[in-house]
This record gives sequence, structure tokens and C-alpha cells, in this order.
Amino acid sequence: MEPHIENIPIRRYVLSKKADEFFTGIYNVYQFIILFFKEAFLSPFEWKEIINQCYYVGVRSLSLISLTGFITGVVFTKQSRPSLAEFGATSWLPSLISIAVIRALAPLVTALIAAGKIGSNMGAELGSMKVTEQIDAMEVSGTNPFKYLVVTRVIAITLMLPILVFYTGLIGMLGAYLNIHQNEHTSFVAFFHSAFNSISFLDINSSIIKAICYGFTVGIAGCYQGYYAKNGTRGVGMAANSAVVISMFMIFVEEMVIVQVINAIR
Amino acid sequence: MITIKNKRPVIVGIFILLGIAILVVTIFTLGGQKKTFVKSFTIHAIFNDVAGLNKGGNVWFSGVKVGTVKDIQFFGNSQVDVTLSIEKSVQSHIRKNARAKIGSDGLIGNRIVIIYDGDSTMLPVETDDLLQVEKSSSMDDMLAILQSSSKNLFEITSDFKSISKKINSGQGLVSALINDPSMANKLNNTLDKLQATVSNFKTVSVTGKNVLSDLKNVSGKLNEPGNSINDLVSDTIMYREIKTTLEQLEKSADAVAALTSNLNAASEKLNKADNAAGVILNDTATAASIKVIIKNLETSSKKLDEDLRALQDNFLFRGYFKKQEKAKKQ
Repeated sequence: MEPHIENIPIRRYVLSKKADEFFTGIYNVYQFIILFFKEAFLSPFEWKEIINQCYYVGVRSLSLISLTGFITGVVFTKQSRPSLAEFGATSWLPSLISIAVIRALAPLVTALIAAGKIGSNMGAELGSMKVTEQIDAMEVSGTNPFKYLVVTRVIAITLMLPILVFYTGLIGMLGAYLNIHQNEHTSFVAFFHSAFNSISFLDINSSIIKAICYGFTVGIAGCYQGYYAKNGTRGVGMAANSAVVISMFMIFVEEMVIVQVINAIR
Repeated sequence: MITIKNKRPVIVGIFILLGIAILVVTIFTLGGQKKTFVKSFTIHAIFNDVAGLNKGGNVWFSGVKVGTVKDIQFFGNSQVDVTLSIEKSVQSHIRKNARAKIGSDGLIGNRIVIIYDGDSTMLPVETDDLLQVEKSSSMDDMLAILQSSSKNLFEITSDFKSISKKINSGQGLVSALINDPSMANKLNNTLDKLQATVSNFKTVSVTGKNVLSDLKNVSGKLNEPGNSINDLVSDTIMYREIKTTLEQLEKSADAVAALTSNLNAASEKLNKADNAAGVILNDTATAASIKVIIKNLETSSKKLDEDLRALQDNFLFRGYFKKQEKAKKQ
């Protein structure tokens, strides 16, 4: 006797539509990252485009990053002073600021600014190229669009973000120095002596590692969202938006993980 | 229109170079402060309790940072072997008998190792030497001392409270001084008298000062050579002469004493009537007889004188007297 299959519901999703899409998205990102590493180490290398992207990502972001870093240094100093003043410990401001800026603020602020400016830019640029089928046209013309568009951008931001972090750290400390000098009349040498006395090589190394991870994350998130954008111009906007949101979320998750690992080493 | 070739790569290159320069300067500054690139040697100190000292903690010698804590390992049962990385340049200053203790770089600052003491006669410390350690006061110890001090303070304030109560209730001398105006007046009078006494003392002291000044002048003059007293004090020949004179004076005094004694004896005898002189001096009858005798002798001598004159005129003796006159004239 043939089984009666008409009443049995057909299983279209493993878990649910949204859950399947979520896990598929993770798998696709994983595939995207694997493909990046494959293409990144295979010739031909797009040096010219990498330099172009470094220019856009690094040099063109410097003014914004500098201003943000300076304000961060000044504001953090102003906010910290009353708490330390309660204990009569305002002389510890340089130490506090240096620890905060070098360990956390410089990489975090730079990455968040990069996510907002560069990540959204990548998502929108690649998304518009995708929906206008420019990427397909590149494939047809024999150019590897992944290598030319994705690999160059991810390499550029991964390399440039640590450099931007150095600038942010320096300018943030200068901002803190100006504020401390104005209020406590601390000399330049005394300020930097006290600041460097509180940090270690591990702090600098952790900052560099963080910056590399954040840069890679912003690059991958921006490029992935743009590279797989769909639904026309609406999809471009969504790609840019998702690139920023996912980048920022992942930056905070990575921050938490890296801090745990660094503290375990410390 | 002239276009600059490779403008973008040059700008990116400058950007990267400056960024790397910031990193390099940071590393060298940090390395300089952490003494990473300075030649160093290691010494050890074994503590019972390191009170939260961390690897990389600073090492101070005479208040100067001279190194860092290189390693912290357990030693024996529960002791802790702390390896200190010290700058080679200060090796000659740290002596073998220098001591180490755990301290902090502020009231609530990081834990550090403090090297102190060391006798300059001892040899400088060598690589892997073991420093003597001293238990330093921990925050708990300080709190215990603070607790003890506050207890003492409480007792003191309690005592003061009791005293102030007694004063307020009119008990004791202090209370009388505060509350009784007559007592205050008496005290005031006493103070006035004391002030007068002090004033007198002041005058006395001024006088004494003047006297001392005079004495000083005198002693200064005495010290001047040529002065008779100075000669007396400093001239040995004169001293000997004076000594000899004094000895002679002593002998003379002895002789005078003996003479006086003899005179005393003689006068005693004269006062008695058992000898001729005594009879003469003391017996009135004898004195009257002697007076008569003397009178008779006077009369007799007058008559004898007349007789002798008559004899000179006698022809028998006239020639003799003439010869005598001639001899006198020649």
C-alpha cells in the first residue's frame, strides 16, 4: 500500500526561515573570508589599487580621525579630573589618560570612526556596483572583481587602521596634555614621563593587534554587504547601513575578547 | 597642464612613514623608561610576602628607578624568590650588604622593590647575589597602628572631657583661676613680683657681666709680659727666689717664735721674786733699799770725784797727769 503523503507538511527550512538565513549568512561570511585569503596571497597583486585604497582609507580619514582623537583626549581628561581631584590625585591624570587612550580609546574610537566613514563607504560603493551590474561586467571583461574590489580594500584598511591608531593616540595624548597643562601647569616632559611610566609594550602590542582585527572586520563587513547587495538602490542603502551596524557590533565583541586574552597574558 | 606622477603613492608613503615613526618613537621612549635597551644584571631577594608585587614592577635604589622585577617564583615552602633586573651602571653603588623591602610608589600606588642601605666598605653586589630582606609595613599593619592610635586618642579625649567637666563644676585650682577673680588678682600680683624679681636678676646679671668683664681685663693685663704678677707667675727664677725667701722667712719666724718663748720665760721669771731681777722688780722693800743705795752711791761718787780732783793737784800724782795730756796732744 502506498503511503499517504499529501497530509505530511514539506520541511523547507532546517530551523526557520530567519534562523536559516542567519546561519547561511555566517557560512557565506566564512566563505568570503576564505576566498579573501586565497586571493590575497595569489598573484597578480593589485598594488596600484591597494595604494589608491590606502590613500582613501588612511590619508583622507586623517583629518577626521585627528579631530576625533584630540576631542577624545580633552574630554576624557576633563571628565576624569573631578574624580581624581576628590582624592587630591590630579597628578595621576597623565597615567590615567595614557592607559585609557593607548589601551582602549585610540583603537576603539579609530575603528568606530572607520566603520562609520570607510565601512559605509565600501558597502555603498560595492553595493551600487553590484546593483548596476558593474561587478558582473568586470567578470565578463576578465578582471577578477573580488581581487580588485574586495582584497585591495580589506588589505588597505587592515594596514591603515593601525597607522591611524598611532595618530589618534598621539593626538589624543596631545589634547590631554594641553588640557592638563592649562589646569595643572604640568610640563611636557613631566606629562609624557608620567604617561609612559604607566604603559607597557604589551599595551602597545595589544593596541596594534586590536587595530588590525578591527580594520579587517570593517573591511570584510563593508565589502561583504556591498558585494552581495541586492534589491536595487534600496539594497545599496541597506548594505551601507548593515556594514556600519555589523562592523560596530563586531568591534565591541572583539574588544571584549581581546581584552580578556590580553589580561590573561598580563 | 603638468600633472605630478605618483602623487598618491608618495602621500600614502609619507602617511605610513609618519605613522611608523610615531610607533618607533613610542617604543624607544617606552624602552628607555622601562630600561629595556639598557645593559643589566640580575640579583635576587627572597621575601616571605611580596604583597601583590607584579612582574615588571619598578626597583628603586636611593629613590631612583634602577631596574625592574624580572621574575617572581615560589621558593621553598611559601617564600617567594624575586629576580631583579638592575642597570649595570648602578652595580658599583649597590653593596653586598644592601637590603631590599617591598614598598609602593604612592599611598595606593604600584608595589615596588626598594633597595637601601649598604656599607661603602663592602664590595659591590655581583650577578645573582642574594640581598637581605626586611619586612615592610603593609597597609594592614598601618591600619592596626591607626586603630591603636585612635583608641589612645579616644582615651585622651575622654580624660579631657572629665577634666573640663571638673573645671566647669568649679573643682580644682584651674577652675578657681578661671572662675575666682581674687585668685586671678593674686596670680597677677605674683606675676608682677616675679617680673620685678626677673628685672632684679637682669640687673644682677648686668653687674655680674661687668664684673666678669673687669676680671677679664685684669686677667688680660696679668697675661701681659712685664707685669710683676705675670713675672711672678711665669718667671721661674723669681719663683725660686721667692721660695727661698719664704723658706728663710719661715726659719726666721721659727727663730722669732723661739725668742718670744725665751722672752716669755724670762718675763715669767722677772715676775717671780725667787731671783735677783725678780726681787728688784717685784719687792718694794728691796726697791727702797736699792734707792737708798743708789742715793748713797751718788753722794759717794760726788765725794770721790772731789777726792780725785784733789788728787790731781797733789804733787805726787801731778807728773803722771801731765804725761797723759802730752800723749793726747801728740
